[in-house]
Amino acid sequence: MSTSPVPKARLAEALSSLGPTVSRLSHLSQRSYQNPYTELAAWPQQVRPEEEWFSSPEYLSLYGTQDWERLDEASRCRLAFHEAANFYSLNIHGEKSLMQGLAERLYRKDLLDVSEYLHHFLDEENKHSIYFGAFCTRYSRVYRSRQFSFEESHDSRSRDIEDFLFFAKTMVFEEIVDNYNWVQSRDSRLHPVARFINHNHHFEESRHLIFGRRLVTALWEACAPSWGEQTVQELRDYLRGYLTMAWREYYNPDVYADAGLEDPWETAERAWSAPAQREHRREVSKKVVGFLTSTGILDKEPADAF
Amino acid sequence: MRSEQKIREDLRSFVLAKAADREGAAITDQTPLFEERYLRSVHLPELLLLLERLSGTPIDVEDLNPADFRDIDSMVLRFCKAGATP
Repeated sequence: MSTSPVPKARLAEALSSLGPTVSRLSHLSQRSYQNPYTELAAWPQQVRPEEEWFSSPEYLSLYGTQDWERLDEASRCRLAFHEAANFYSLNIHGEKSLMQGLAERLYRKDLLDVSEYLHHFLDEENKHSIYFGAFCTRYSRVYRSRQFSFEESHDSRSRDIEDFLFFAKTMVFEEIVDNYNWVQSRDSRLHPVARFINHNHHFEESRHLIFGRRLVTALWEACAPSWGEQTVQELRDYLRGYLTMAWREYYNPDVYADAGLEDPWETAERAWSAPAQREHRREVSKKVVGFLTSTGILDKEPADAF
Repeated sequence: MRSEQKIREDLRSFVLAKAADREGAAITDQTPLFEERYLRSVHLPELLLLLERLSGTPIDVEDLNPADFRDIDSMVLRFCKAGATP
């Protein structure tokens, strides 16, 4: 992606405009500072995956499909347990990349204005991963991610594009996750541990989402005018592809295999293409896609994801 | 596992669907897909799922390198031949 240099003053001005937001969010983070190990000590040693619900049934990847209709209650419950572990696993993998990116940017000269909050962001993401990891290792397993990369190295992109993509991808990932957290934190059918994890993540992510939206908007407004049409189109294609990739991980054949379903890859393919699931993804993505289109970052919705 | 011909057809369809915005996109089984930007890194998880489905075998991302995905010939050889090492 080739670009003209972004005027430093414009970028600095955009970032410094976040000052009051950063101070307010940092204050809130200090007020709700947590020790995750206190909570973990209260978690049970064992759970009953076929009798207790760990995910809201309506948010399962097979809900509304013919495969779902064929499952009895115990099988649905077991699927909900493994999908909870998959949801927490994809958070672990997402937060691992996020923490790497945050650590790289901590105290970078041009990001000094937001460094105070980057500390909280990093700390809170690490604690979320402690909860997610504890669930997966104590009761289930950490599901593998299929995300990896070997092209578009950091060297081939300018730093402002790297920054924009990093924070935009973080925001997209967190907005989708947050919808699941919000719904599942309020679902009284769920096991208390599942409700706690979802509630705690939603509570803290709400600050990260405010920060993410402000920062992504500031970066876009400061940088996009100097990027040129071709670069902007490539970024749009990339973000649309990222949204599809993020969603694809919710349909994990490894989960279907653990839940005892036959032909897990075909099950994943059927679920991904099922009309009810496409509508679910569109509905859950509505807020973040609305944000991306209203700011002009996207010029059309990511059709592949739906 | 599906026949090699079917695997190649499915891989070509996947690539062309992802490159739908490219006018007159035409690929052969030797077209360097990432080098010529028919595919991007964001497509890799989906491609991996497809290869797993076509070969009926899980693929460990820790054992992969760029050459495995250079073109359709490379992918078929690496993941979908009898005796391949996913």
